[in-house]
Amino acid sequence: MTDDAHEYLVTVDWKNSRVGDLIIEGKPKVEVSAPPEFDGPEGIISPEDLFVAAASSCLMTTFVTFTKKMRFDFKSFSCEGHGTLERVGKGFQFTKLLLKAKVEVESEELKPKAERALELAGKYCLVSNSMKCPTEHENEVVVG
Amino acid sequence: MSEEVEPRYYPVRLVWTGGKSGDLEVEGKVIIKTGIPSGSPEEDKYHSPEDLFVASATMCYMNGFVEFTRKMRIEFKSFECDAVGTLEKVGRSFEITKIEMKAKVVIGSEDIRKKIDRALELAAKYCFVGNSMRCPIIHDTEVVVE
Repeated sequence: MTDDAHEYLVTVDWKNSRVGDLIIEGKPKVEVSAPPEFDGPEGIISPEDLFVAAASSCLMTTFVTFTKKMRFDFKSFSCEGHGTLERVGKGFQFTKLLLKAKVEVESEELKPKAERALELAGKYCLVSNSMKCPTEHENEVVVG
Repeated sequence: MSEEVEPRYYPVRLVWTGGKSGDLEVEGKVIIKTGIPSGSPEEDKYHSPEDLFVASATMCYMNGFVEFTRKMRIEFKSFECDAVGTLEKVGRSFEITKIEMKAKVVIGSEDIRKKIDRALELAAKYCFVGNSMRCPIIHDTEVVVE
């Protein structure tokens, strides 16, 4: 495997009903299940949550990478991810993903840099680039 | 599966906690620590975005399988699936180009093998997370009687 390719191994082990464990070596086990709207129990992380989470998490890590490249600091970052699952033909599909990122910076001068880093993060986010649905971004940079 | 036609929404919230890590919150559910290691050994244990991506498809496949076994009124003893996602450079950036899944199902009798094979096939076909991804998903299945 070269630097141009990486592999990710995950294991899902069914426990009961629609609940299973997500196992990744060296990481905490996550209990996962179908969401209540697809007959799963309440309060357990669903594949739909993970799908939206993957894109949000990737936006964050990519944003941090660009801030390092551009050599500036930020105070906080948060992102709300909203995925829309709709019936397409006989099955369901995610048709839209909205990522609302909010970044706090120290001074007014850093605002354009943070905006640019968010823009680049959206463009180079490998997870959303691996999804069929369009991703919309709503970025907010504040001085705090 | 519900016959509901209304779209369903999945909101998640991610709050940066330092380095390249953050707390991923879904209301009423456990917090998942996510990110990529950038110094602290603690971060090695966090789920990366790529992990979550591959996991979402794998988990959805399991749910679909369970759903179809219910519809077909068949029981199984265990289900386990290993999945490998491949991340490759595509043009100037990276993309997950392939997910290979190996599912193993243990059943109580030979009689239901065909039905289990069919449930696995339908689960792959109707996996809505997998269908929302651009990459092909390759399925390898093994059904064992114990």
